[in-house]
Amino acid sequence: MNFFATCYRKLEGRRRWLLIGLSLLLLFCAVQLSQLKLEENISALLPDGNSQVAFDFKLLQQAPFARKLVINISAADGIDPQQLLAASDALLAALPAELFHNAINGPGEKLGSRLLDQLGRYLPLLAESADLERIEDQLAPEATRRLLQQDLAQLLQPQGIALKKQIQRDPLGFEALTLQKLRYLNPVPEVRLERGRFLSRDGHNSLILADTPIAITDSQGSRRLLEAFEQARQLLPPGISAELVSGHPYTLANASTIQHDMSRVLMASGVGILLLFVLFLRSWKTLTVYLLPLFSFALALLVVSLCYAKVSGITVGFGAVLLGITIDFGLHVYFALRRGDAPRAELLSAVSRPVLFGALTSLAAFAVLLRSELPGQRQLALFAMTGIAAAVLLALLVLPHFIGQSNPLKRGTRQQFKRHVYDRNPWLRNSVLLLWLLVVVLAGVKLPQLSINGDLRRLSYQSATLQQNEAALSRAWGNMRGRALIFVRGENLEIALKRNEQVWKLLQTEAPAGLVSLAPLLPSSATQQQRLKRWQDFWVRHQPQLREQLLEQGRVLGFSAAAFEPFWSQLEYPPQQFGVTQLKAMGLGDLLENLLLSDADGYQVISLLPDRPELVAALEPKLTAIPGVNLVSQARFGRQLSSEISADFRRFILSAGLAVLLLLVVLFRRLSSILLASLPVLTGLLVMLGGMAWLGLEMNLFNVVASILIIGLGVDYGIFMVCHAQQKEDLASSRAILLSGLTTLVGFGALVLAEHPALYSIGLSVLLGISAAVPTAVLVIPAFRPKRL
Amino acid sequence: MGFRVRIGLLLLLLLVCQPLSARAAQPADESARPDLTPVFVRLRTAAAGIQSLSSDFVQEKQLAMFDASLLSQGRFLYRQPAYLRWELLTPVASGFVLRGRQGERWNSLSQETSTFRIDSDPMMGIIAQQLLAWARVDIDWLKSRYRIVLLSEQPVRLQLFPRDPGEAGFIEQLQILFAADNSHVALVEIHEIGGDKTLMRFSQVEVNRELPDSDFQAPDFQAPDHK
Repeated sequence: MNFFATCYRKLEGRRRWLLIGLSLLLLFCAVQLSQLKLEENISALLPDGNSQVAFDFKLLQQAPFARKLVINISAADGIDPQQLLAASDALLAALPAELFHNAINGPGEKLGSRLLDQLGRYLPLLAESADLERIEDQLAPEATRRLLQQDLAQLLQPQGIALKKQIQRDPLGFEALTLQKLRYLNPVPEVRLERGRFLSRDGHNSLILADTPIAITDSQGSRRLLEAFEQARQLLPPGISAELVSGHPYTLANASTIQHDMSRVLMASGVGILLLFVLFLRSWKTLTVYLLPLFSFALALLVVSLCYAKVSGITVGFGAVLLGITIDFGLHVYFALRRGDAPRAELLSAVSRPVLFGALTSLAAFAVLLRSELPGQRQLALFAMTGIAAAVLLALLVLPHFIGQSNPLKRGTRQQFKRHVYDRNPWLRNSVLLLWLLVVVLAGVKLPQLSINGDLRRLSYQSATLQQNEAALSRAWGNMRGRALIFVRGENLEIALKRNEQVWKLLQTEAPAGLVSLAPLLPSSATQQQRLKRWQDFWVRHQPQLREQLLEQGRVLGFSAAAFEPFWSQLEYPPQQFGVTQLKAMGLGDLLENLLLSDADGYQVISLLPDRPELVAALEPKLTAIPGVNLVSQARFGRQLSSEISADFRRFILSAGLAVLLLLVVLFRRLSSILLASLPVLTGLLVMLGGMAWLGLEMNLFNVVASILIIGLGVDYGIFMVCHAQQKEDLASSRAILLSGLTTLVGFGALVLAEHPALYSIGLSVLLGISAAVPTAVLVIPAFRPKRL
Repeated sequence: MGFRVRIGLLLLLLLVCQPLSARAAQPADESARPDLTPVFVRLRTAAAGIQSLSSDFVQEKQLAMFDASLLSQGRFLYRQPAYLRWELLTPVASGFVLRGRQGERWNSLSQETSTFRIDSDPMMGIIAQQLLAWARVDIDWLKSRYRIVLLSEQPVRLQLFPRDPGEAGFIEQLQILFAADNSHVALVEIHEIGGDKTLMRFSQVEVNRELPDSDFQAPDFQAPDHK
């Protein structure tokens, strides 16, 4: 380690040049980073590549309502549904169109009539075998007589004027069979239509659906959107309320909570760091130590921005906090050089060994994250590694020139400590060991109960109001978003629809209830042609007799011979093709948009089914045997993500553990030293995990990274304390570790004051881990091996 | 039956509820027509005291679908604020009652009674609105939906042309003849596009007779409800 001593000597007289160099470097970073645009996208926290979870996540983004703004308008008891619908209309009109695109509160009053008038004509292309059987039943003489009598009765009523053409075209009411095809088209389980508006079955809720140009991750845009909504809902009369349910309120709530949290946390950590400064340092020179993380942060961000086209805001935010640990290197150098009683170059050489190894272990721990399935964690790994490398070089090469004169402990004081405190008080040593053992056992006992949760919503702030709104929406309208989805892809529409028919056939046998599918209403062209052929064959067999029958029975009731000419003409010239264009013309475009997607690669048809684990498990092998078909269960997605996090966590801990162990072997080459140096990290991890289990918490994505942090820091503490015990120089390691541990606790631990679950979770896990690692390093290691001067 | 009724009602709705662009298309010389205000004032005044109406009617339909005219007899009842009974007694007993926003319809052939709500059955809403407007002599509503021409002043005979292009696709014009005292409608002629025609002659009209609630109940066929 004479390298750093030599460097120190060479740079000793060139402080000004060092300052100029550092300033230029910082300036360069500032210029480069001024153009950096951070990505505020949750996808950084989701597995990418070819994993099933990544694939499922992409598909889930296309689910109906996944990107819709949903406004639930509720009426108090005693309010008439008509008042509610009037309020819904008023709110719809008040929503600004630039923020609420395609806003609707129902398909409109004309939809039903358009469908009845137009869809029925396509019965020859839509009729399945079962429909033809029903038609055959209606052809019995008794049935046709009854139906013609009903036609007569209808024609005599006021509505007969409107019915006349329909009766001429379809005297026996066959076209009603097409309406059955619409049964499977409704993605909102509890909806009914009143005056063409959505109304919940209980009549207490109305619904507005809209698109918005505001990205869900855009907090500023979300604020504008919610303010516009707030203004619009002021128009609602007393007793009627409206809530917007989408990702935007969550984004805004999260942004506001984080903002609020950060001011609280920064205030707490600022006060804490000031206290530490007053208690331990009391010198302005130490400010240079505190500047170390700032430099390392700027350099790390620069490197990451050069390596990645898109830098995640989450990575940078968490990385900035992580790099707070780089202050440790500075503190060790500072204490060793200021408090040590030897030439500075010599002290630097001595302290460089544990500092370098400490940095190497942290680098190794973070390096395992480079293999993560999560892009955000990979970016974070590079960020942390660059920052640590920069920090250690700055601590060993630059910092020694800016920390002022040495201030060693007085010789008299040293003599006082010639005998270690544990030698003087053996009961203290035993008590410390006993207490440590007790903590370890307590943590270990509860450890197996710790579970891992991959639900991303647990990581975002969810106020009680937002949760209540979601629950109210679900109560009023059924589970709109929580169903399993089947995606059927085809290079063209025909292939997609053919595959969708196969899926539908399977679903009907396996899961007859709660289905949403386009298949009954939109068969493939090939199926339509088959049905048309069957329809024509059917009428070749039945038409002559029916014609005679209707003529005779109609004559009795007064109908003219030509009364039903349109009916016969339609049988003669049935429609040849039915598809998307016709459905859109009937006003079903919005529904189609939910269930039929197209992109450059072709078409995708979506079906929904109840998200029951046993159903999903039974259907998946059969469904995925059909080419282009994928089943995505929202419930399973959470489980898969948990399992990925769990697998990642085990792999990281194992890899980081192995890497650290290898470095410890290289550094110490003695089993006892290696075991001693591992004590803080093992205790820290155990207490962190066991403590979380005691508190009833679950592991999440952020705890995984926090674990790596505990490993990096814990091993550093162990290395410093073991080196401290081995080396003849007094490196003031206990003091440095205590201060660095306290700094970490103040910096990270202050996050337990946060309301945001992700920040709180990081804060708590670090608080638990470091609270255990620092006393283990400072008190337990010396209890096993005290330094003797 | 329920389905067929619904189809008819919805088709009518489709036509009636087209955008009211016909307002823009009304003849430019409408302002030059005789001022109908005094006639409307008379009609309003005469109808002002009406609490209920009870009448028989004869309906004659001349439809191309049938070889001969269809004659039927029926009964019409109205009670404020929104009670109606429209009932055919021959040749097929059928009809509907309305009580506020909901009602029942029936057909003796199928022996079925079904309930409806005008909010969820918009076509029934339109029919109810039309009949209530005639019974109340709601001139403002009629003016909003029809271009009105005065054919004769005593008795008042009005000719109405639908403003709505949807309704105009069905109905060419209507002619309404009021009773001599202007208190109620005596005759309605509906001229459909294509030449079909419907005439309704009201007789035995009784104004402000006591109409019990039972008059606004459907006959009991003991059949299940069909919404």
